[in-house]
Amino acid sequence: MNPREFEYHAPHSLDEAFSLLGKYGDESKILAGGQSLIPLMKSRIFSMPHIIDIGKIEGLRNIEINKSGARIGSLVTISDLESEREIAELFPAIHDAASQIADPLIRNAGTIGGNIAHGDPGNDLPAVLVTLGAVFVLRRSGGERTADASKFFIDTLETDVHHGEILTEIVIPRPGKKTASAYLKAKKSAGDFSIAGISTCISMEKDGSIGSIRMALTSSGPKVIEVTGLEEICKGKKDYNSIAEKVSVAAVSSAKPSDDFYGTVQYKKKVIGILAKDCLKLAMERAEKR
Amino acid sequence: MRSEKEMVTGRMQYIDDIVMDGMLHMTVVRSPYSFAKINAIRGGLNHTDFNSEMKSFGEGETGEETGPGETMFAGSHAFYAGQPVAAVFGKTKYESEDNADSVEVDYEPLKPIMNLNDSLKLGPVHGSMKSNVLKRTLLGKEFSIADSHIDLSDSFMMERIATNPIEGRGLVCHYDDNKLNVWISGQSMHSIKSGLCGTLNLPPDRVRVFHVDTGGAFGLKGGMYPEYAIAGFASMKYGKPVKWIETRREHLMASKPGRGVRGDITISARKDGKILGLKGKVLVDAGAFGGSIAEFSPRFIGYQITGPYAIGNVYVDAQALVTNKPPQGPYRGAGRPEASFLMERMIDRLADETGLDPVDIRLTNAATEPFKTPTGMTIPESRSFLQDAIRELGYRNFRKPERPGFSFFALLPASSPGEGARIRCSEGKVKVWLGGNTHGQGHEFFVKSLLSTEFRIDPGLITLEYADTDMLEKGEGSWGSRSAMVGGNAIIELARRIIKRIEKEEGHYAPEILLDGEYDEQDFVSYKKTLISYGANLVTADVDTYGNVHVKECRSYYDVGRALVPHMVRGQIIGGCMQGIGQTLYEEISYSEDGTLLTGSISDAGLPTAEKIPEFTVKYAENPSEFPHGAKGLGESPTIGVPTALARAIELASGKRIRNTPVRPDYLIG
Repeated sequence: MNPREFEYHAPHSLDEAFSLLGKYGDESKILAGGQSLIPLMKSRIFSMPHIIDIGKIEGLRNIEINKSGARIGSLVTISDLESEREIAELFPAIHDAASQIADPLIRNAGTIGGNIAHGDPGNDLPAVLVTLGAVFVLRRSGGERTADASKFFIDTLETDVHHGEILTEIVIPRPGKKTASAYLKAKKSAGDFSIAGISTCISMEKDGSIGSIRMALTSSGPKVIEVTGLEEICKGKKDYNSIAEKVSVAAVSSAKPSDDFYGTVQYKKKVIGILAKDCLKLAMERAEKR
Repeated sequence: MRSEKEMVTGRMQYIDDIVMDGMLHMTVVRSPYSFAKINAIRGGLNHTDFNSEMKSFGEGETGEETGPGETMFAGSHAFYAGQPVAAVFGKTKYESEDNADSVEVDYEPLKPIMNLNDSLKLGPVHGSMKSNVLKRTLLGKEFSIADSHIDLSDSFMMERIATNPIEGRGLVCHYDDNKLNVWISGQSMHSIKSGLCGTLNLPPDRVRVFHVDTGGAFGLKGGMYPEYAIAGFASMKYGKPVKWIETRREHLMASKPGRGVRGDITISARKDGKILGLKGKVLVDAGAFGGSIAEFSPRFIGYQITGPYAIGNVYVDAQALVTNKPPQGPYRGAGRPEASFLMERMIDRLADETGLDPVDIRLTNAATEPFKTPTGMTIPESRSFLQDAIRELGYRNFRKPERPGFSFFALLPASSPGEGARIRCSEGKVKVWLGGNTHGQGHEFFVKSLLSTEFRIDPGLITLEYADTDMLEKGEGSWGSRSAMVGGNAIIELARRIIKRIEKEEGHYAPEILLDGEYDEQDFVSYKKTLISYGANLVTADVDTYGNVHVKECRSYYDVGRALVPHMVRGQIIGGCMQGIGQTLYEEISYSEDGTLLTGSISDAGLPTAEKIPEFTVKYAENPSEFPHGAKGLGESPTIGVPTALARAIELASGKRIRNTPVRPDYLIG
């Protein structure tokens, strides 16, 4: 199918984009890589009189890595994330997730900013960025603010981006020593949305015990869900086997999956439980090696 | 005809590549409801302009169809979600799709029948029918066995699946100078022609159908659809060329899916594995209308249910049931995989019950001499092929805990009633037209190979032409594992007639005489028998903790008679094996109880992707057939053999009894 008629705008600067957003207000929508928006427009599920393509704006495609962490421009493509060696080194969960999003063609088009700002609970990067403690930079005409990843996602397709704002940068704090992350995804086929996904970030103390842990779930509710109650289970523990079952139960009890074509709530909870154990194990193994 | 390389790199002249001056693009407005009363309709071309029942549906047609058949447009009711209600047009695709918004339909939704149980239980969908039983056939005869040791009953379901070729349906119609010219992606120009003539009430000399490069079909493109008649009618009404190209979503909601078959089977056997009798019910989800292969499917499945085995007592109650879904269509195998699945699953079950090796049970029951089944099918001796297959597939080399799934089947190709062909030699070139139209299988290879041998000329001088109903009077179609077999037979027969004519006129035959002369021969070469051949598969698989099945190895051993073009044989087998894996693990057309399509995207409807490709071993036996070229059927063999062998492999790996396809992860770990 083909989209309904729309006017296409391709601003070259943020200021130009802000003025278009101001001019067209509710009749406009930002287009980044188009991974989600273009299929919706082509199937005529979604249409908008004005499409503002921010892809030509300079300065939003950088990956900057310094002592305090990473600053990733919102137009960095999923493929760029996947192939950046330093990202894979510092934030393996980002690499894990990026390499499993859709297929290579879509990864060449889709962007980190779009993956976040679309607010789809099936998108993989929100869970990863929540566990990594990322902060999002939102710019508007004449100003900017930051939002914590953990508070950014409000509901299905609803985020904390206000009209007139553009997500420009993702800031991720540099992980401490003995810290590692991992992302796992259960799906029918490569390229599919997940039945469930899980991101884990673990920091270990010098003695090899767990100091802190965060986990977040993809495709397990109306928005990304952070697993609660993990610190009590894991803090000070060294042995995977002593905590795996409890972590699994915590992940399952935080999840709010729904019945659909891909399976019942019961089945999805089972998948989430297995994912939690497998992801915990992988993250612990990676952290120990650091 | 183009090369394989051009084909797989998209350098073909596909239907959507055709552009004509003043061409209109057609968009079909479809019922969003699986069942609804239509109180009023305004806008677009709709049933008030013209309506007619589909005639001639190609593959599976027997001429004994009773209907009710589908009409071009929904009239007083919409009987499935996706049924055409109106059509709109525009100078561009965009304009045409925009115009769809101008059609207003007042629907009154009704409770749809979305499964076989409801179809049996609830009142008829069609006011013209007393129940939802569209067709019922009793095969074999009732029996009771006194000395049976074991009676086993089970129930199986193969869900509906979309044919999903890379290229969907599409056509261009141009009514010009009192003639409806149609270019179409298809398997049989002649069945499309008779469908259009019947539906639009046109005499044969006013319809001409041309084949174009076709990007896959698998049964989808063998016959008529409402959209074809609507596009033809629109071209006549507006006096302009009209193009219609199916979207993937339309394909998933409104083309004719295959399978959709349940079997409730009981077998009676001795402790030594000898099966004494089989009885049961075969229920086919016919969809909303008759006048489709659904009228034939139940009988066809029941007829061949015992496959290569000599089972003395058989009684099958085979029924096609109306539901509020698109009419059933043929999908690679079209009844053959369904029959084999029911038989082979029961044999594996019997093995578990008796502790015998499932392959030994197959040996015990294979026919040791030609055998006429109680359903009327005569099979050749099968035991010796099975013995060869066990050896060639290396079944006995596996040691516990590694245990493969194994299947054994009879392929009943649609060799009857033969095929039409034409050979024209002119200006040193040999041109060929075939009634069965290639949709990606590479018919040009066997045409060149067979005719270069017959005529003793360079294959480069021979071309397979695009089919055209004005160039060839009579043709059947490319389906049912028939093309090389009966198409090849037809061109050899015609070539020999030309050679005989040359011998008569010139005293002897020489290639130079042929190439210097002008010869033109066409005929429909009859073949009324079903030339049965045998095949076997061996499959190994793992199941992970998430319930995902990983197919490790897929081995095939089929009797192809003679491999006319070995690399095409190999390609057919590997491609078919992937479709067998697809049916078993991923593919499904599914609805919610209220009639909402749940599989509206290709990701949901499931296709096997590159990462799912296992290691293949392709072997074949060459026991020549009675045809002059020696070939037997092949195309459908993998889709018959692989699902049954894979189902067993999963059963062994997971410990769960496999009764349904697709085998979903939530079943395996749920």
